[in-house]
Amino acid sequence: MPASRSSSPYDYASDREWAGTRGYPLFFMYIKPRNLLRVALGLLIIVAGLAFCIWYSRNGSDPTPDSLVGLIYAVLGTVFLLLAGLLYSLHRRSRKSKKVIGGLRSALGWHMFFGLTGLALIFYHSFGNFNPRSGTYALYGLIALVISGIIGRSLDRIMPRLIAKEASKALTQEGEDRIEAISQQLQAIVEHNMQRVRGLTPSPASASPAISAAPERGGSAGRGRTLHGPWDLAYLTLEETPQELSRYEQSYRLVPDRKSPLSRPGALLPGAQEQMAALQAVEHAMRREQFYRYVIRYWRIFHILLALVTAGLVIWHLEYAASLVIPTLFH
Amino acid sequence: MRNPVLLHKTASQVQQELEACIGCNECLLACPALDEPLTIDVLNRETFGGPISAPVARFARSCYQCGACVPPCPVGLHRDAMMMWLKIRLYRSGEED
Repeated sequence: MPASRSSSPYDYASDREWAGTRGYPLFFMYIKPRNLLRVALGLLIIVAGLAFCIWYSRNGSDPTPDSLVGLIYAVLGTVFLLLAGLLYSLHRRSRKSKKVIGGLRSALGWHMFFGLTGLALIFYHSFGNFNPRSGTYALYGLIALVISGIIGRSLDRIMPRLIAKEASKALTQEGEDRIEAISQQLQAIVEHNMQRVRGLTPSPASASPAISAAPERGGSAGRGRTLHGPWDLAYLTLEETPQELSRYEQSYRLVPDRKSPLSRPGALLPGAQEQMAALQAVEHAMRREQFYRYVIRYWRIFHILLALVTAGLVIWHLEYAASLVIPTLFH
Repeated sequence: MRNPVLLHKTASQVQQELEACIGCNECLLACPALDEPLTIDVLNRETFGGPISAPVARFARSCYQCGACVPPCPVGLHRDAMMMWLKIRLYRSGEED
């Protein structure tokens, strides 16, 4: 793409090559051929497993969780879930695997594939028998874990878009900090209004004759000047003291008429209320942005904690199943 | 665990970070959202301004701000903040439409 087209951050070309690059929909999906293959393989395993489970439940000799078929389902499901848990974590932590762009995304895809198919296989392993408490709790844990994963994946799609929306509110069209821009505007308004108020105070030339004449009469007894009193401390001057001068001075205080538009609150600060409202809106947007970031982060932590709890429940169930199966194998 | 912070940065800050990028690709290698080959120079060129190509737009929409790209950066840049700027641009372009 020629660089000459990029005159502004919002300048987009309309070529077909660049079509579909505008906008940020809330729901979107990109399916690549290799992802389709994974989805098809997962569906095949789930449907084939279900079909066999139904057939075996009707025609099989022993459709129970501890039968040979039930144990095959259990082993396959456990292996799949182990792969789901370990593959992605190891891939992410492994330095070597990071050397391929898109490798982690692929590992995440397999994580979801093994999680969903593993849950289905474990569900078929139960053959509708939910009497053993340990197995039922482990299954519930797995269902909750997979659901939390699906919700988390959806949040990963939705929340960043909401964050972008809120961040967009906190930035100006040029991408600068909106709070700073509003603060500068407020400062300009305040300064402008201070100048207006200052404009209402009389200039020395237009002051009352009493005030303008006072320094002449008082000599050096003007405001801010020291009194040069006579040498005789008992001498009482008849000239005005600074206190008397300030008493004569007219103070100009704006008291607008009740019907005047100036009597409305904020009338002296035109635009200030709007700026304050905009400032509050930006602050709310930033708070929401932070909340969305918290949701993404803590949902991931919740998913990991749920995985640990489920792993404990599965181990509990395996220990219970081993106490039943191992004596049968030896006798 | 690091504390969540408001990650959006201003355009000038994003531009500074883009200029400081040494193009080592470490952020892209650590990204769990990137699903197709993309080079850092293309991403950097399209992040700040100009038209956004389809692969970059897909990547920007897929980025879920996990922050996995930040620790591997040898110069301490925030690729997630740069991606957020790209998201904002995409969002605003949709609003304009």
